[in-house]
Amino acid sequence: MSRLQYILKRILQMIPVLLVVTILVFSIVHLIPGEPARLILGDKATPAAVAALTEKLGLNEPLPTQYFLFLKQVLTLDLGTSFKNNLPVADLLAVRFPVTLALTLLSTLISVLISLPLGYFAGTHKDRLGDQVVRTASLVAISMPSFWVGLLLMILFAIKLKWLPAGGWDNTSLWGEFKCLILPAVTQSLMTTALLVRNTRNSVVDITRMDYVDFARSKGISDGQVRSRHVMRNSMISTVTLLSMRMAGTLGGSVIIETVFSIPGIGKLASDAIFGRDYAVVQSVVLLFAVMVLVINLITDILYSLLDPRVSL
Amino acid sequence: MRSIARKLAALALALVMVLGLVACTNNSKEPEDTNEPVGGEFADQIVLGITSEPMQLEPNGPGCGPAEIQITQQIYEGLVSTATDGEIVPCLATDWTISEDGLTYTFNLVQGVKFSDGRDVKPEDWVWSLYRARDFELSNYAFIAEPIDTVEATDTQVIIKLKAPTPGFLAQLGCFNMVLGCKEYAESMTDDEYLKAPMGTGPYMLQQWNLGTDITLVANPNYREEGMPKTKELKYLVIADDNTRLMQLQSGQIDVAPIFPFSLAQAVESDDSLELGIYPSTQIYYLTLNTTHAPFDDVKVRQAMYYALNTKELASAIAGEYGAPVGAIVSATQGEWSNTSIPVTEYAPETAKQMLADAGYTEPVKFTLTVRTGSAFYEQIATLIKNQVDQAGFECEIELLESAATSAKFQNLEHQSTILQWVDDYQDPSGVVGWTVDYDQAQCFYTGLNDVELDQLNEQALVELDHAKRVEMYQDIQQRIHDNANVIPLYRNDSAMAYSGKVDGVYLSPFYVYYAKDWTKTK
Repeated sequence: MSRLQYILKRILQMIPVLLVVTILVFSIVHLIPGEPARLILGDKATPAAVAALTEKLGLNEPLPTQYFLFLKQVLTLDLGTSFKNNLPVADLLAVRFPVTLALTLLSTLISVLISLPLGYFAGTHKDRLGDQVVRTASLVAISMPSFWVGLLLMILFAIKLKWLPAGGWDNTSLWGEFKCLILPAVTQSLMTTALLVRNTRNSVVDITRMDYVDFARSKGISDGQVRSRHVMRNSMISTVTLLSMRMAGTLGGSVIIETVFSIPGIGKLASDAIFGRDYAVVQSVVLLFAVMVLVINLITDILYSLLDPRVSL
Repeated sequence: MRSIARKLAALALALVMVLGLVACTNNSKEPEDTNEPVGGEFADQIVLGITSEPMQLEPNGPGCGPAEIQITQQIYEGLVSTATDGEIVPCLATDWTISEDGLTYTFNLVQGVKFSDGRDVKPEDWVWSLYRARDFELSNYAFIAEPIDTVEATDTQVIIKLKAPTPGFLAQLGCFNMVLGCKEYAESMTDDEYLKAPMGTGPYMLQQWNLGTDITLVANPNYREEGMPKTKELKYLVIADDNTRLMQLQSGQIDVAPIFPFSLAQAVESDDSLELGIYPSTQIYYLTLNTTHAPFDDVKVRQAMYYALNTKELASAIAGEYGAPVGAIVSATQGEWSNTSIPVTEYAPETAKQMLADAGYTEPVKFTLTVRTGSAFYEQIATLIKNQVDQAGFECEIELLESAATSAKFQNLEHQSTILQWVDDYQDPSGVVGWTVDYDQAQCFYTGLNDVELDQLNEQALVELDHAKRVEMYQDIQQRIHDNANVIPLYRNDSAMAYSGKVDGVYLSPFYVYYAKDWTKTK
């Protein structure tokens, strides 16, 4: 099967998965207690006002009718209107999703840039001082809650040094937005970096013991080539797996970072929508996350085949 | 070398991708033309950090709350406004007369008032605005304008006729939603559009709203007061986390953090560059007991609760020096309206046990206290209450539910007890009293106690024109609420604003409203 055929097949396989996701998310958000109209209007609203808004929001319709309407909207790429903001959900996602995606990619980039060299260093210096320091540091990083690290970074870089903003979103310039992403991305990357360091280190330790590495060296291949072609390339298989899982996780778990740093991303949008019973937004965000996770998994599988010729698609 | 170059190229590509995505997020619009700076010695802009983004910016729009009010108050004005001490003062009316029967209010208008887009205020704008305040079906504050029967207006006067005498009506007119909008402007668009594009006669007007991040108001070039507002621009940043607001204040990113939590007060007070403004508030926290289910359907059990609660400890633990226990349901900040003769009950667990025993309860009285999660504050109050009442003949189980689920539970009277709070909207006791005794408003603060006699007394107090007699009636109502023991005041607290030492003029009214037109920030 060619790579293109494989990708097409995987995309077709996504459809039933996404259908199940829509049923699950629709059922869950509609079954949890809390009237959207009452939440929007507040405690002081009269029953008549609540009834009028419920009617306006189309929530008087039977649940199956509402579900099929939602499905129809999704198929026509119309994600409905946010109850709370009274704006098309597609517009909200168009503004918020790139922020979260940029944050996720930047934090992933930071993780990769730090963890691969450190992991390799620790693996090739097994049980020596450098390895002990890296392992201890990564253990500490895994143990620290991200919101707490975020606050510490803000104190240091925003209040003491005044190099970076203490959260917020400066949309007056590209540089302003980039500066606002640095601390959140570093904070978000901490856990991934620590896990990747430990994973890479262990892989390097295992792979350097392999016969084919000794054989490559005995053939007179330079250290650099052994490192890149045999050790790092083979260690990348587990690294890519872990990285893809972490990327999916950070997409979904961006709510804490976005709240602490006041970043207008999709995580904060989702959390506000859940608490406000903004059904259209919750459904669309979950669907988007599901698509993203499926796409990341697809890319991961393709990367396997590129990294390891034994893996066929 | 080629390998290094490839890696560098890949790295550069990744960076470009991230920067490209960041560029895609740039949703700012080109700044529009703004007014000239108003005051030369002051900074042009004051930045405020607010914890939640408004849903809309029209005071009679759906779900109007603190986030909406603090911004719309800078854009809209009404006939009168409420001064910091609660006094009703002229705003767009120079003066007024009230007919002897209390039914007709005649306001003489300030002349030459324009909307921020330069349109003259017309008589029909007043008629439209006050009817909208009463009739807009999605408004959650329509009850404030409910007494209005008819509105007539000329170029010089507004005449409001009421359905029944309402002595608190002038105070109600000072509420944030009794404001002037432009009929022609509002009718040129849909309601949904109008909610997002406010226009009034106030000192500021909306310049830009970047969804999820910030709202910018600029000085109204047609404002009626010379030299006002003193600061050219107000920028509201949405910062959900209070710790982040504090850090942005410390780093100079924001100048003012309105409605600031006391838990972070010490950090502000220990910073020489910051100020902590403390203001009298009408906020009171209550323990509300559902009287439609056992055990709180028994008034003796509810009354025993007074002795089972150590409200002094609660106030001290939660609000520290900024809080105090209270006996009456109406805030002492309301002055003579509050029945200060109702004492704060001393913690007496043995008395509570005895009262329960006298009522026939030999075993600890079990009940569930439902509180919302996501707020350490509510959970802290609940924990303290549990510790106190468990030693006084009760057995409290704390039920933590997510906020919307908690609301749904108490609104449907499916709970046993919960913790709620109230902030008055205007200088009159009718708000909180109506909420507590008028079953149709909120099932008597979601306690389900339909005390018909008390409700009738409230109806009489609402229309009583003799001030002294009305005060007396409200004192009596508060005593009866105390005796019913369905809504138990826990403590009152002040309100706080944290702000940069460079900012001057900051205050917060007892009704959680501020007017920023005379705020300044030194350069």
